[in-house]
Amino acid sequence: MRRILKKIMVTVTALPFALGLSMANADTIRIALAETPSDELAAFFVALDRAKANGLDYEWTAFADEELAIQAVLSGQMHIGFGTPYAAMQRSKAPLRILFQLSKLKFFPVTTKTYSKLEDLDGEPILLHSRGGGTDAIANVIESRLGLTFGDRSYVPGSANRVAALLGGRADATIIDLSNKNKLMRSEAGANFNVLEMFDVEASDEALFGNLDWIQQNEGDVQIFVDALLSVYRDMHEDPTIIRRETDPDGPIGQLPEEILAELDGFYADAVEAGLYDADGGGRTAAMADLEWYSAAGQLEGDPSMLNIEDFWYLKPLDAAMQ
Amino acid sequence: MMNRSLSLKVLSAVILFGAWEIAGHIPVSFAFPTFMESMGALMRMMGDGTMLDAYAETLKPLAVGIAISAVLGIAIGVWVGLSRFFDWLFSPIFIVMQAAPLAALIPLLILAYGIGLTSKVLVVCIMAMPVIVLNTAGAVRNTPDSIKEMGRSYLATDLDIILKIIIPAASPVIFAGLRLGISAGFIGAILAELKITPTGVGDIITYSRSIADYPSMYAAIFSIILLAVLFLNLLERVEAALFKGNQRGYASD
Repeated sequence: MRRILKKIMVTVTALPFALGLSMANADTIRIALAETPSDELAAFFVALDRAKANGLDYEWTAFADEELAIQAVLSGQMHIGFGTPYAAMQRSKAPLRILFQLSKLKFFPVTTKTYSKLEDLDGEPILLHSRGGGTDAIANVIESRLGLTFGDRSYVPGSANRVAALLGGRADATIIDLSNKNKLMRSEAGANFNVLEMFDVEASDEALFGNLDWIQQNEGDVQIFVDALLSVYRDMHEDPTIIRRETDPDGPIGQLPEEILAELDGFYADAVEAGLYDADGGGRTAAMADLEWYSAAGQLEGDPSMLNIEDFWYLKPLDAAMQ
Repeated sequence: MMNRSLSLKVLSAVILFGAWEIAGHIPVSFAFPTFMESMGALMRMMGDGTMLDAYAETLKPLAVGIAISAVLGIAIGVWVGLSRFFDWLFSPIFIVMQAAPLAALIPLLILAYGIGLTSKVLVVCIMAMPVIVLNTAGAVRNTPDSIKEMGRSYLATDLDIILKIIIPAASPVIFAGLRLGISAGFIGAILAELKITPTGVGDIITYSRSIADYPSMYAAIFSIILLAVLFLNLLERVEAALFKGNQRGYASD
């Protein structure tokens, strides 16, 4: 009995050291994705391939949602994450910084034919992604800018699910992303729905962020990564078809079903046209837009003009890549 | 002088919350608040009515689901325990229900029953009912034959034997099943609110997480655990009152 206990004690004490050592040796960047690889991540994976060619060693883990990805970076299990952790940066005092704007909050209010402009939605129920999420923020800003108040807000995560609710007649108004809007409006059912005109949003939907201490200790790797992202985003704006061409057929995107891969060119052509991506990785413009947007949306506290973008963005790698 | 059982309970609570407080101060993660911060958030949410509104929403599927599971579960369990045929008919269903990875099956439930209360009640029932049914059936089946025979020799009817012999004899295990089932029901209610549509306590958890208000998130989780513990203690009292002399002591004493 005593021998067994002793063995257990030895294992328990040795385990953290063994794990710690193996982690310290591995110079691999651990990336926390906020969703499983899909067409929307194709450009990101092309950038990862380019970075790998320049010597970046990485591994990625897909989390079920953005908040889990943020928490994994907060706790140090992951180095780089996907999302817009403004609230976490301000509230938890964690030294997180954004490096690159991956996509903008391009969402579209879609309704049945009953409504033809945003003002018509005053007092009407609306279907959104989640409380406190991006579409909720858009709804808040629509309310404050146009001086209206939506009726009951109900929440169904996932644009595709909200489209299903719209088609099933369980909702009359919702806010959905670009690719689902295009799919819906180009389908036969599209004739039954309106896409309402909305102001332009420059704020980030997804951004790349990491722990500042880690970023500063790994400047070289971070630089390779940001360089690769910027080059892909610029090339994509010149020719959206490079994403399909450069996608590694054995990678996570290349393994997606053929029907999805066949639509990649269309997806990126639409996205570039609609301004979903910023060819310069966002930078200061995006940072300012984000502070204003997320303050209006209730994720950040305080006057946006008093907030310092350096507290939220680490611009050095992007500035260097731009030169 | 406190009795031993109570002082041990208080001691273990102090150790647990003390460890939580220390872990929050280290901190183990920026996303992990201290015990005091969480309790502050809990008090604030109870004060401004957020918690009350949330529980009004969460208790709907929870109460309905647990009531259905308890009543139907014990009834089916007794039946299954008494009859070989119903054992053959029903047991496999509940064994499959218990083993099924529910979180993965939720999309199927949504497909069939929508995103409303029905789906959430079903999640609670699927979590709670199998343990209750299987425990009850097992207990009923294992009632000692000798006391049943004794009943018969005193000319008891079948109903008398069920109500006065089998159920009291099976009560400790039935209640053990109820406790396990109801704790699983609490898990189910929160699972439903996290996975189907965020309402009530599930909404506080997801919303606080999305705005990085971690003390509120942990306060909501803490409150549901507290409620579950209180409810299970209440159940223990009910058992003690109903079946005096039959209980055999529990770890939670």
